[in-house]
Order: sequence, then C-alpha cells, then structure tokens
Amino acid sequence: MARFVSDCEGFARRDFLKIGSAGLLGIGLPQLLQLEAKANEARGQRRAQARSVIMVWLAGGPATIDMWDLRPNAPEGIRGEFNEINTSAAGVRISQHLPRMAEVMNKCSIVRSLAHTIPSHGPATVFMTTGNRPTPALHYPSLGSLVTRLLPAAQGVPPYVAFNELRNGSAGLAGYLGTSYNPFIVEGAGNANGRGRTAGNLRVRGITLPSGFTLEQLENRDRLLQNFERGLAETDRQDDLVDGLDTFHRQALDILRSDRTRNAFNLQQESDSVRERYGNTPFGQGVLAARRLVEAGVRFVTISTGGWDTHNQNFQNLRTRLLPNLDQTLSALIKDLDDRGQLDSTIVYCAGEFGRTPRVNNRSGRDHWARSMSVVLAGGGIRRGYAHGTTDVQGMAPNADPCTPDDVAATVFRQLGIDHLQELMTPTGRPVQLFREGNPIARLVG
Amino acid sequence: MSTRILFAAVIGVAAWSSPGVDAGVNLPGDKKLERVDFERHVMGLFGRAGCNAGSCHGSFQGKGGFRLSLFGYDPDKDYIAITREGLSRRVNASDPDGSLLLLKATGQVEHGGGVRFSKRTWQYQLLRDWISQGAPWSKGSGAVEKVILNPPEIAFNKAGEARQVQVSARFSDGSEADITPFCDFRTNDDAVAEVTNLGLVKSLRPGSTAIVVSYRGNVLPLRLMVPMEMPAGFAYPKTPEVNYVDREVFARLKLLNMAPSDLSSDAEFLRRVTIDTIGQLPTPDEVRSFLADKDPHKRQKKIDELLVHPLHAALWATKFSDITGNDTQSLEIPNNIKSKRSQQWHDWLRKRVQENMAYDEIVRGILCATSREGKAPEDWLDHVKKMDEQLLTNFDSDYANRDTLDLYWRRQQQVTIELWGERTAAAFLGVRVECAQCHKHPFDRWTQAEYRAYANIFGAVSVGSSPEASRLIAAEVKQRKEKTAKKNQILPVREVFLNANARSLRHPDTNGVLTPKALGGPEISFQRGKDMREELFKWMRGPDNPFFARAFVNRVWGHYLGVGIVHPVDDFSLGNPPSNDKLLDALAKDFLEHNFDIRHIERVILNSRTYQLSSKTNETNKLDKNNYAHAYIRPMMAEAVVDVLNCALGTVERWGPEVKPGSKAVEVGASQLQNPQLTYAFRIFGRPPRTSACDCERAMEPALPQKLFLMTDQGLLDKFKVVDGRLEKLIKSTKSDDEALDELFLATLSRLPSARDRQAFADYRKMVTDRRTAFNDTVWALINTREFILNH
Repeated sequence: MARFVSDCEGFARRDFLKIGSAGLLGIGLPQLLQLEAKANEARGQRRAQARSVIMVWLAGGPATIDMWDLRPNAPEGIRGEFNEINTSAAGVRISQHLPRMAEVMNKCSIVRSLAHTIPSHGPATVFMTTGNRPTPALHYPSLGSLVTRLLPAAQGVPPYVAFNELRNGSAGLAGYLGTSYNPFIVEGAGNANGRGRTAGNLRVRGITLPSGFTLEQLENRDRLLQNFERGLAETDRQDDLVDGLDTFHRQALDILRSDRTRNAFNLQQESDSVRERYGNTPFGQGVLAARRLVEAGVRFVTISTGGWDTHNQNFQNLRTRLLPNLDQTLSALIKDLDDRGQLDSTIVYCAGEFGRTPRVNNRSGRDHWARSMSVVLAGGGIRRGYAHGTTDVQGMAPNADPCTPDDVAATVFRQLGIDHLQELMTPTGRPVQLFREGNPIARLVG
Repeated sequence: MSTRILFAAVIGVAAWSSPGVDAGVNLPGDKKLERVDFERHVMGLFGRAGCNAGSCHGSFQGKGGFRLSLFGYDPDKDYIAITREGLSRRVNASDPDGSLLLLKATGQVEHGGGVRFSKRTWQYQLLRDWISQGAPWSKGSGAVEKVILNPPEIAFNKAGEARQVQVSARFSDGSEADITPFCDFRTNDDAVAEVTNLGLVKSLRPGSTAIVVSYRGNVLPLRLMVPMEMPAGFAYPKTPEVNYVDREVFARLKLLNMAPSDLSSDAEFLRRVTIDTIGQLPTPDEVRSFLADKDPHKRQKKIDELLVHPLHAALWATKFSDITGNDTQSLEIPNNIKSKRSQQWHDWLRKRVQENMAYDEIVRGILCATSREGKAPEDWLDHVKKMDEQLLTNFDSDYANRDTLDLYWRRQQQVTIELWGERTAAAFLGVRVECAQCHKHPFDRWTQAEYRAYANIFGAVSVGSSPEASRLIAAEVKQRKEKTAKKNQILPVREVFLNANARSLRHPDTNGVLTPKALGGPEISFQRGKDMREELFKWMRGPDNPFFARAFVNRVWGHYLGVGIVHPVDDFSLGNPPSNDKLLDALAKDFLEHNFDIRHIERVILNSRTYQLSSKTNETNKLDKNNYAHAYIRPMMAEAVVDVLNCALGTVERWGPEVKPGSKAVEVGASQLQNPQLTYAFRIFGRPPRTSACDCERAMEPALPQKLFLMTDQGLLDKFKVVDGRLEKLIKSTKSDDEALDELFLATLSRLPSARDRQAFADYRKMVTDRRTAFNDTVWALINTREFILNH
C-alpha cells in the first residue's frame, strides 16, 4: 500500500525503493557496485567517493575547546590549561595532548564552527547522530540506519554495526524506518566508559553461532527443517511475507556460514605492532575491529567511548586518560586506513553530542555547551589538512562559516553518493527529507 | 490594489506589443483553453508539476530564493512571489520567453529541480500565454465548490484495459470546467492499476484499489476494481454465508470473480484463533481434544471460551496500550517506578475488556479522565497515598478500580494541546491530523484552522495542583521530601484537573480566536467548570459520527484479518478509502446497535466463514490482498512471539524484578524494560515504544535479525535445556520417538506431523543416533519454520 508522492526528481523514488530493499537482502559485490553506479547515474551525480563510515562517538560531550579549537587568547578562566601545537596541516593547530593526531592532521578536516542549541545529552545525541533536530512527533533514523536503507549491503555481513548502544538504545536506532534498519549490536564491547571485557570476546549479537553450536550442526538442522518445511510451501509465491522470510532465512544462513564478520573480530590476524598501535584498550581494539568490519563490507560502524562529561577535573581527565587514548586510537585508525589505501573510501567521523562551556567552572570542569563545538572528519573525499570555520576569541560561538549537525550529515551523505534532499516515507505516508535543514559544506570536500 | 492597477497597465502594454498572439492554449486531449486563469490553471500546474511540494519551492525556506505556499494553499502569497519578488524577473510580459519562470522550468537556466517541461509542451504554452497576457489574477476565481469525477468509479472487465478519467470542477462563480490536465493522479496500489499524469487509468492485475485525484488541495478517491478473467467453463462456487460479514465479503469477491478459499481445517483454525485472541498456542492436549471433538458447534464454543479467557483481555489491554500511548518513559518519575505505572495503565484497560465494558464507556474513562473524579481533595489524597504505597510494594494495585485513567494525561513532561489533539484523533477517530499542524493535509480535508480548533478542546486540561487541592498537595510533597533522603526517589503528587482558564491556539491566518471544535463536528464553547472533553465525547459516540465506531470496528477487523478495511487502520482519510465500505458500514452499524459491545463484534467476525477461510489460495484468489478471499498469512505481535516460544518450549519467561513473576508477555504493561534479553526480543519483533500516536509504530514486517534470533540466540537456545521444559521432559520420558515427534509438532505447529515430516525425522534419526541431539535439532528446526513463526 505504498503511496506515491512525487518530489523534485519525481522519478527517483521508485528506483530507490528497489535499491533500498536490495540493501536489506544482501547481494554479491559485483552486483552491488553495479547498483551503486546505476543509482548514482539515476541521480545524475558523480560516483560516490565513500563507501563506508566509521563514527567514533565521544559520549558525554567532549571539551573540544581543549582538543581541536583552543582559544589561547581568551582570558584566564576560559582558555584552559593546555597549549597549542603545530600539526602536519599548515596553519592548523590543536592541543598539545593530541600529538599523534597532529601528525595525521594533513589527512583530516576539523569543523570548528559547528553549533546547535541543545545542551542536554539525550536529545543532543539524537540530533548529532541523526542529522535532524529531534521532535516529539517523529523519530528520525540514525545516520547508520539511513545508510542501511539507502545503500545496498554486501553479502554475508550486516550493513550497520554498533559497538555500544548509544544512551541505552535511545539513540542510534532506525526511528521511522522501522526495526529492520536497526544496527546489529556488538556484544562484549564493554560499557560506554570503555571498561569491560577485551576485544577477544567481541561478537555481533545474532550473527555468529553461540559456542557449542557448530556450523555442521547448523547445516544438519537446516536440512531437517527444509525437509519439514511443507506447511506453507504450497502457498502461492506471491506472498511477500513468505517470500521475505525465505530470503531472510537464506541471508541469515549466509551470514552464519560466512566467516567474514567473525574474521573481522579475529584480531589475531593483525600483527602485534598494528594491534599495539591502536592501543591495548577495549576502545582501541574495537576501533581496529571496526576497520576490519568496514573491510569486510560493513557500511556503517558506530563505536563509542565514554567519560567525556567532564563537569569535574576536566583538564586532569583529558590529560591523563581521555586524550592519550583517543589520540592513539584515532590517529592509528586514520593512518592505517590511509596506508592501506582505504581512507578514500571510508569516512571517519569523530564527534560527541556537544562541546563544553568555554568558561571553566569552580571544579576545574566545563559544563554542557552546544553553541560551539568541533568535530573531526577524515577520508572519503573529505578535504585533507583543513580547518573549517572559526569561533570567536572566547570560543563562545562560531564567527565564520557557522554550520549545524544537519550540514555535516548532509556532507557525509553527499560523499556516500546519497542525495541529501531525498525524501523517505514515514509509515504514515508523510514524505520526509533526509535532513530537514542540512546542506553539504562545499569547502569540506576535495 | 496597487498591484492590480500596475498589472492592468502591464496588460495594456502586452496586448499592444503582441497583437498577433493567437488567443487560447491547446490542452492535451484536443481541448482548447480560451483564457488562462492564475488560480485555476497556473496554480494547478504548479501543484501537478510538484513545484510547490515540500521538497521544492513549497518548503518553508523555499528553494533557490523562490518560495511558494505548500501545495498552493495561499494564492495571494504565490502571486506575489511569482510576479513581484525575485526582482520581478520571474515573469516578463514584454518578453515572455525570457521570463525566469520559464527559463528555469525548461532548464535553459540552471534549475535545482531539473527540467520540468520543454518549450514545445502545452505547459510552456500555457504559462507563456498567461505571462504574455500580463500575468493577470482575478482573486477568488479558483475557489472550488465541487470536484466531479467522470466516471465516479471504474469497474474494469479485466487486466490490461485503459479508461480515461475526466475531472471537472464547479467553481464558486457557478461555472464548471474541465480541469483534468491540472490534477495530480496517484494510484494507491501500483500492482493493481497505474495512472498517467493526464488521468488515463490502466488495469494491471486483478484486485481493487483507488486512484487519488487531487486538484489544488481538493482530494477525491476514485475506486476501481479489476476482476479475474473467468477461465472457460468456470462456474463461480456458492459458498455458505454465516453472517453479514460473509454476505458483504463474498458479494465483493463475486464481482472480482475471485472464489473464497476453502474452510480452514480444524487444526488451522484452532492455532489461528488462539494466537489471535490470547497470543498463545494451544497445548498439544487442546489440539488433540479439539480435533477429536465431534460437536458441529465446536468452533463457536472455542471462540466463546477464548473471548472470556483472561489473556484475551490482556492482549487487548496491550493493543489499547499501543493505541492510547502507554509510553513508560513518558510517565512520572522516579524512573524505577515507571514500569509499574505502565502496568497500572494496562491493568485498568484489562479489567474493562475482561468485564466487556462498552467501548464508548472505556473511551470516556480515558478521554474525560480527571484525577479526583469529583472527590474531595482529602479523599483523593488518601487514594493517592494508597496507590503510591502499592507502587512501592506490589505488582498488584487497585488502580484499575478507578473510574478514569488519569495516567493517560499525567505525563512527566507537559504535553502540548496540539499533541493531545493528534493523539485523541488517531486513537479514537482513526484520523491522522499531524500534517495539518503546519499546512493543509495534502490527502485529507483538514486545514490548519481545524487542527487548532480541535486542539483547543483540550485547552483546560492541566496537570499539577488545582486551587482546591494545592495546599494539601504542597503539604504532602513537603512531608515526602522530609521522609526521603534521595531526592530522585520522591513520588510527585499531581492531579489532572480542569483549569479555570483554557489555553487556546489562534487562527493561523487571521490570528483570531478559534472556538474549540470537533473534527468535522460541532463547535464546543468553553465555559468555566465545563469539561469540553465531555462534549467531544458526546459527539464521538453519537450515531452519526463518521469515525468513532468505524475506526474501532476497523481496528478489530484489522487485528483478526491482518489487513484493515481501511488500511493502515488509523488512516481514515479521503485519499485512503475503505476497500469495502459496505462491510465497514455494516460492522459499524451492528456495533452501534449493540451499544458498543466489543465482544459481540469479535464474535461476529470470528464466527464468520471469512475469518475461518484457509490461508491456502486457489487459482482465482491468489492475487488477493485486501478483499479477504483467503486468510492472510501474517506475523505475530512481538509479545505473542515471546509467549508462543515459551508455549512451544514449555518454559516460563524470567522477567527479573520489573514484572510480576509468571506473567505472559501479553500481560506486561511497560513499553520499556531493563532486562536486555527481553528488550532485544521485543525490539526486533517490533514492540512499539508508544511514543507517537500511531499504530504504525508497531512493526509488523519480518526482518533479518528476527531470523537470526530464532536461529542463534543464546537465551532462546538455553530454554531448550530447561529441566522442566518440554524438551527435557520428553527426552527423559518413556515416550517412543514417534510419540515424542507428535508431541513436538503439536506443541509448535499445532498439528500432527505429515507422512513426509515423519519420514524426514526418521531419516534424520538414522544419522543422529543420540536421542537428545536428534530432538534438540528437531525443536530448532520446527521453531525455524515459516509455519511456526507466522500466523496463518
């Protein structure tokens, strides 16, 4: 009972519906590339640059004023305790506690003029991870769910994987797209604070057989099932539901038989030096696994690390714990992707829900601040060695090239070859543009 | 005024400068338009070409600096935008072909929306003609009195035919004109019929659907039917009718040349009706005794038995919880109490379904709820203390004994009156009005003014302290604060009451006062102390209300048949007509005549042959999707999936501390639980968070994670091994392999194994010699069949 509502392109929607559903069903890589090419053609766009996204989520709201956009000329009480250092990108200076990021800054862009107006964790997380300001009337899908919906998936791997549920599953989900587009959740990844079991126990819930359940047993059981399965076999093949279930059945077996996902978590296949470089933390090893998942064909990976809500002892926490970890892991990811020739097809997007108050509070902490914040992007055609926009001298608000979470989302999607103006249909038949207010940031590309 | 004078002058110039212009424009279909009218034709063209859609110039920011009113609701603004803004370059009477409007639309100048039409088209000629006439506008010329479709509906003879629809409009000046090329045509089911943008309808496949015709905000459905082609010598069978449901359904099927499927087998019926009514599977013994029963009325008796089953009320309380928005997260703090508040809500509903309270009375208790229900503040406070005490200590409470469901209104965060309007309209009228918050509904009649006037009915409803109770509440809150160390553990004391002053939204255009008004119903004036909701309720339950009874019988029908007569069930709109309006009318009439007796309507539906048809299709009806020629195979509700798995495996769900031990999933009130295992299962099988007023929140489509869950979930596989579970008991029993196989088939598929099934198992057993492994694998295989996880 899909209703047809014409849009600017008029013709495009149906093509997309078909491609979108293919995304759910999983197809071989050659067909996948063909489909992508066709989709791009249909949209009259150039070929997508990026194929995948790794979103590194800094839960709690990182003090980006002490990381990516220091304000050394601000008065005492604002400028903080850290100094700036030069980076490999001419004219781009970042915190002294991110020296390895400084080395790879010539591969990254910093967006310094990002701002929104929601200084509350839940809705701000939703805003940043959906590219849409939250409203009570409609649950917007996360960027990963949109990608699942709009791009075809590779066979044998889940399209969208999340290492931790964002805010206990209140963000990062499929919203109006429906449960089919929710992420597959990695188990054993520890909690959002990065504490927990090591990467050796990582597995995606539901896509690997539990221990003691062998592949041989699965094949046996499935054969038995196929011999039983006569109940609805005579039901005519027109039934979408029965057909759909059969397809999912085959796809599930594909995934379980395939060792692509399991292999992605087998970090033993990486050299010790590589594992070492990512950092011997659940977060570091998780990010390495994320890289391997993308290699296996996963479209969108979200990995989150917590502890950034630094109302107390902001500087001490950043200096001793948060920044060294992030510095090591994020720089390792970017460098590794580049060395392997994958950075041009993978967007790394590092962000949190908001920034923190320029003014330092009386507990040496910084509080929630959404009116100015920075995010870091790299790869997938994102400009290398560039800082976009500036904030005022006190870091309170952007004073040049202001942009919003919607704009960044639209930019990422543009690089994925997805028309950001495209509309999707809610279950009530209401056409909704991907990002209500977003426009790609032209200078962030190329 | 100055605009008109200005343009009068321009017209003069234009007429002078191009004297040889041939008057009139050729339209498609060899028609000629003598005079191009701005409202009737130019705006019609914009709507049809999609220029004023939300993604294009109709968006609130416009596009490329050019903004039109969304779907053309405002000719005044659009006229100014086209003729005056953009440095007046959009229309140029002295050089029509150089008008930006035409240069953009034809792609001669870069246009974000692409090429809409070429220079050689009638659209171009029409706009050009209008511009060269000086872009005249006579205000109000396009006001539509009535849109007329010819034919008003189409009965095709077979697939592959074409019919032209002609649309004409009667305008308020009394004139009538053909407007076909200025309409937008959409099909509601492109598998059954397609339509060109000039109204040529083609039948593609047997079935029924509607073409939705819209002309500048006026929406009309054109219903159509495509019958099966009768094979030579095919005699349409005579199928016995049990009641009026069958009469209406079979009459429709006859027109479509579709023969109803056979009656379902007893096993098929028993499984279906048990899942549908109580969300469980019949036990092996129940299946055996039902199959053995020789009573010709055994189905009727089974239905009666199930309709009074306690879990039947629980299942409907869950459905009503969806409909009324029992969203755990939105309820009053503290957080660890919220799931119990949700349970109270569920209990309140369940008690009423169990007692078979009349539907209108249930709705009244929700719609017109207050906390005090007329009690003195002191008495009410005693009641609150008792309720809160129970919240802290028990799973059981006396909340269900209240007359009204004040929890519906008592949310932690204040809810806007707009949202109350949307929620009540969707829940009790089956109407979605949210589009009209920002613009006229594109596929329905509702305007922004009607939306706001409806919301104003809820203007006096407040949550907090009424003047009469405020002193008492303050004292109680103070006491609670003193008693409890942890601030976040204090239960707030708040009441739903009617404020002496009503909040009120104003008219979107005039900013004038908007008298509260029911949707398409009477005005309800506000007086201090009067509950406007009561007036609304009176209108709802009245015999002439077009929505109230229909919306509910449609929901019941949709639940039992899998597809609503209006589908989706909460989308009653002009653009979404019922698939069988006689059937819907008959059900609604019966419901009214029986004083909103829910169980009566359920009995009528469940006893009908239509409900009891087999899901197995025949050659004539295999394409049917919405005329009920056969039972539709459908997924189960998420709660039923959890329960049915436990039924099959003979296990009890372990809920943790949030839910009363031993509860079935259909008995759980909370929309959100902490238990990650259950949260996961509920989520992937589509239990809704109930945050929006839409039945669509409940996902009812299969998804890959569901399949993977059934194959690999550790928690589920662990249930196989539960000591007093079905499988372990069976393995340890003295039952032979054959007997054990029977038992497992009955427990999962509610039928005995066929010869083929027995052979498959026998072959397997030869390979897998260990009895435990063999049966373990068999259970896995059975719950992974489509037959198990689908309702059919």
